[in-house]
Amino acid sequence: MYLAEVKAWDIVKKQYRYKLKSYFGVFTSLIVIQMLAILFSFNGTGSGSGSSNSIQYDFYYYTSDIILIFMMIWAFITAIIITTRAYRYDDFSFVTNRAISVVSNILFLLSASIFAGITVYLSTHLFQILAFYFKDNYSIIVDSLTVTEFVMGMITSILYIFLFASAGYLVGILIQLHKGFLLIIPTILFGGLILDGIGGDSRVIVNVTMFFGEETSFILFICKIVIVSSFLLLTSLGISNRMEVRK
Amino acid sequence: MNVVVCHELTKQYGRSKAIQNMTFQIAENKITGLIGRNGAGKTTLLKIIAGYLHHSAGDIQVFSENPFNNLKVAANTIFIDNEMSFSQGLTLKELLETAGSFYPNWNHDLAMKLFDYFSFNPNQYHGNLSKGMKSTFNMIVGLAARCPLTIMDEPTSGMDSATRKDFYRALLKEYIAYPRTIILSSHLLDEVEDLLEEVLLIKSGEKCLHLSIDQLKEYAIGVRGKTVNVEKWTEKMEPISVQEIGANMSYAVIRNDRSIKELEDARQLGLEVTPVSAEDICSYLTSKTKGGIDHVFSRG
Repeated sequence: MYLAEVKAWDIVKKQYRYKLKSYFGVFTSLIVIQMLAILFSFNGTGSGSGSSNSIQYDFYYYTSDIILIFMMIWAFITAIIITTRAYRYDDFSFVTNRAISVVSNILFLLSASIFAGITVYLSTHLFQILAFYFKDNYSIIVDSLTVTEFVMGMITSILYIFLFASAGYLVGILIQLHKGFLLIIPTILFGGLILDGIGGDSRVIVNVTMFFGEETSFILFICKIVIVSSFLLLTSLGISNRMEVRK
Repeated sequence: MNVVVCHELTKQYGRSKAIQNMTFQIAENKITGLIGRNGAGKTTLLKIIAGYLHHSAGDIQVFSENPFNNLKVAANTIFIDNEMSFSQGLTLKELLETAGSFYPNWNHDLAMKLFDYFSFNPNQYHGNLSKGMKSTFNMIVGLAARCPLTIMDEPTSGMDSATRKDFYRALLKEYIAYPRTIILSSHLLDEVEDLLEEVLLIKSGEKCLHLSIDQLKEYAIGVRGKTVNVEKWTEKMEPISVQEIGANMSYAVIRNDRSIKELEDARQLGLEVTPVSAEDICSYLTSKTKGGIDHVFSRG
């Protein structure tokens, strides 16, 4: 029997297609979580009130913040889940090697992030309409976005979600590498939060958020996320290349 | 051409060695049986060949390449065992279609025919199958993939006897129509010996024997008779196994390399010389102590 020569990129495409089909549950959970997020956003994501002379007013913001945050957490957890043993073994029942497995996972996470980013935008509109009908508001002011602003907003959402997915992927791979990370990672994370709390002026977590959040140049922001994500994913690739399957 | 070449192959888990200094070759288009007791290292060896595990020392070449993390080896090898994991999101039919898109030699017609023959429900999920049904499904994937190197690790576990027979027949027919290198691990040599061309016998991680099945069948002879006579006759030989089989009677298994004179002596001592089945030879060769299980229960 002759030996088949296969091209790596072909297999990546096949694995990617296979994953889109078989990880369908991921998208179901996305919809459920978004509905939850809409519910949580229903009271407005920010509010305030004021009065002057004879006027008293309350105002509420209806933004997609909560939905976006929920999606970021969803991406983080989804990425961890697809590094678990059952999912890794699935790949190896068909043709693959470690690099192809990781690259197709990254492509899957990227598609999931894009899908999530678009639905964040869509569900924001849905819940704004719901709020319009079900809440007795007297006036509604809608920020109308230009096309560029809209595109930039969507890309930002997608990038944030993808950043969390990349972080989740590395965390997942580290845990697969050694179960000890199951303890170490939460310790570092919560330790950082507690340190911030004790010191009074929060540094650790804030610095990380500010690195992305305070970036005013859009191009630089994209660069930052792309560089950090690639660093996280390349590390994952490097680690998983040495991992054994089905011990 | 040799498909699998191992040289001083060693695999270590922490301090314990699962595979020790194994050197052997597996030739192209042969059905080789990997036989050994539980925990002898069969599965570890097969996983190293399939490229799932790293070896610790020595050298292994599959299709002249190191199998670990190797795409060429992955595309031309299929590893079937009962731990095979398939996505929970796809039905059995979709799984077969997906497998078809991955394996270049995949024969979908055969897969579907076997699928119908074993009356699978196309809309079922792999996780909901019983153990025997899972093994049967995995076997269908293994046969239809037509990979130049097909590795099956105890493929019949959980199958009922009718399915086993069907499976061996299907394997043989497929092999004859499309010859390929098949490595079959089993601890039931009896069942597979008609199928095998070669036997690789391993004992606690080491190679014990690598012979053709015909050579193995003639590897040893058994002598039965009065204990005194058996002891007298086997005095200068190294018996593979000696067992007591009742009052003052013994049964010894020795290498089949005695001269005609010695065999004549045996007859004169009233010993009965019998052939030993391949299965028995393997279990005698791999037993840890010479006395066998009876030793555990013997007093004094």
